Amino acid sequence: MVRRPAMTRKILVVEDDEPILDLMDLLIRKLGYDPVLISNGPDALEYARREPPALILLDIMMTPISGWEFLEQLRAEKALQNLPVIIFSASPSVEERMATINDPHLGVLHKPVSFTELKNGIERSIGKR
Amino acid sequence: MDHTVKFLGRSLFHTDIVRVCVIISLSLCCILITALSLERQIGPVYTQLFYFPIIYATYFYPKKGLYLAGACALVFELLSYFYVYPSTVDLISTTVQAILFILVAVVVSTFTENLNTSEARYRSIFESTLMGIVLYDQNTFEIRLTNECVEQMLGYTEEELRSMRFPDLFSSPEEQRVFYERLGTSTDISNFQTRILMKSGGSLWVALSWRRITDNMVSTSIIDINSRKLAEQAAGENLARYQQVTESSPTGIVILREEKITYTNPSFTRFSGYSPDELLGKDLLSLVHEDDRAGFSGFISASGEKSDLPEIRECRFITKSGKERLGALFVTPIVQQGKPSLLLNLVDITEREQLKERIQRDTEMRHGIISTVAHELRTPLQPIMGYLNLLTQDPTTYGVNDETRAILDRCAKSVDRESQIINQMLELSVLDAGKIPLSYSVVPISDLLKTIVDTGGYASKGDLVIDAPTDATMEADEHKLSIVIDSMLSNAVNYSKPPRKIRVTYQFSNSEQMHRISIQDNGIGITNSQLDEIFEPFTLPDGSSANRKHDRVGLSLSIAKKYVKMHGGYISVDSIVNLGSTFTIHIPRTPDGAETSHDA
Repeated sequence: MVRRPAMTRKILVVEDDEPILDLMDLLIRKLGYDPVLISNGPDALEYARREPPALILLDIMMTPISGWEFLEQLRAEKALQNLPVIIFSASPSVEERMATINDPHLGVLHKPVSFTELKNGIERSIGKR
Repeated sequence: MDHTVKFLGRSLFHTDIVRVCVIISLSLCCILITALSLERQIGPVYTQLFYFPIIYATYFYPKKGLYLAGACALVFELLSYFYVYPSTVDLISTTVQAILFILVAVVVSTFTENLNTSEARYRSIFESTLMGIVLYDQNTFEIRLTNECVEQMLGYTEEELRSMRFPDLFSSPEEQRVFYERLGTSTDISNFQTRILMKSGGSLWVALSWRRITDNMVSTSIIDINSRKLAEQAAGENLARYQQVTESSPTGIVILREEKITYTNPSFTRFSGYSPDELLGKDLLSLVHEDDRAGFSGFISASGEKSDLPEIRECRFITKSGKERLGALFVTPIVQQGKPSLLLNLVDITEREQLKERIQRDTEMRHGIISTVAHELRTPLQPIMGYLNLLTQDPTTYGVNDETRAILDRCAKSVDRESQIINQMLELSVLDAGKIPLSYSVVPISDLLKTIVDTGGYASKGDLVIDAPTDATMEADEHKLSIVIDSMLSNAVNYSKPPRKIRVTYQFSNSEQMHRISIQDNGIGITNSQLDEIFEPFTLPDGSSANRKHDRVGLSLSIAKKYVKMHGGYISVDSIVNLGSTFTIHIPRTPDGAETSHDA
């Protein structure tokens, strides 16, 4: 019998809005995961490469790189191609853009999400893997 | 002129009687004189006297003249026998004389008959010709002779015409002046077109030709050219009218013959920037934008072959100043001066295209602004919603008592509603920008209605009846259709008071080939004046208490209307104030005509 390494409970939140980061910290803890809060793409990308989380919650409208650019660079890494990502955005054009990307490990949650929606969304994505 | 009398059972003219009397008396005189001169032997015998009655009679009555000549010869011969016999010399001489009588009569009668034949021929031509003929005196211009045709043409009688002078026939002094002028240049003139006066007072276009036939007699032929002349005038007026129409037309008009421009109107000249002289003879293709030339040539050459409905083609042109202008072209094959040509109508749609582009840009810009606004409005809602959820989900940890919890629940509802309004606003903006396609599937109608009612909890709000066959299906975008039905149901509940009676009915109209879903309520109803407004964004039945009570922005009906329209259908409303309303969704059976992607 092969022992699989203990699954990480870390959820990386990439989000530049401070109040939302604070909220997510609280909510994710409540759901029993370990939140990692990073407010910009490049730092988050570096973290993900170093220590792949169980899931990434990704905002879209960010500087210096947008959520889409982050996703592109993330998927360029072979090891991170199957990492579940949930687009977590208030932008209305997300669906349109998502329709052009064929990525089975990509989900979406539209802000504002309720606690229950967030819970279901996270469980669905992590369960996929 | 001549009057006839009955004589021995035959009709005779007075002149005939006079002539016969003259002939008889002359003949008798001749016989008497001859008899006397023979009897008395005085002087010579004037046999030449017999020639007078013979020639006279033969001239008027050729045949009877011959008989007379014969008779005279016989009488003369008998007298001679009686008086001069047996002088043989005299007998021979008298016989010769008698034969001469007959010979003279024969010659005269032949001549007269010929003369009569040719006169009859000319007379018949003169009388029966369709040309009017007037003979007038060259010096006095008095009319001497006219034929029937002139009388018919002008309406005068022969007597009236004979009492006139030829120039009196002209309709105006001006025409007379021209006539005298022409007469001064030459005596023989043909095809002089003028107007002459009819007895009725009207004037007639005629062509005159005249010729001097004797020293002082002029023959004028008159040909009626009135109808031709009037037709010419009418054609001229028509031409002027067409010219006026083309010259003032806002549509550019070009005529092409063998690909060269033979005519342009001012609209086209303005459009092209070239002067008419520069355009004439030019190849129109040289004005067409390079990228459009192939298409333009194809369109032009195809236009001659097709006889069905002409199509319109949009084509870019380059003006003299190098600017690009867009024209909508319409080509008709015509024949000009006997040669196949093309008539091009061109409408300048440069501005229309620019306007269309601007509207599209504006719509997209508005959509962009609304998207950004939505993003900015939604982001702050997230923490509010998240914390409220947290507090209500886990009240003990945060020390939330029941009363506080009820307040927090209300706050959460408000956040939901705001979120929903933003979503609807966005949806409308997306619909306006034309970005949402429909995804068709076969929808089981009864199941769909039940699901919507269950999800919305409408059954608990009143007496709700669903009347739809369980096996009925329709082709539609299920998600959008359910949003439409849900907004109708939500309306029915919001604009009515308990005891509510709501009836949802499905029917298929065979005559219209339409699915019909009706939602009937017993609510406050809608006045006629509100009917048009309720489907407009941000409109509610005005001033109604429902407005304030439900505090809702009326976007759902606008969205519903657009969704149904995308399916090729429409929503109808029947309403009686204070009795209730029925909203009916009509969706065509086949998705033909529906928009797979919505156009702004």
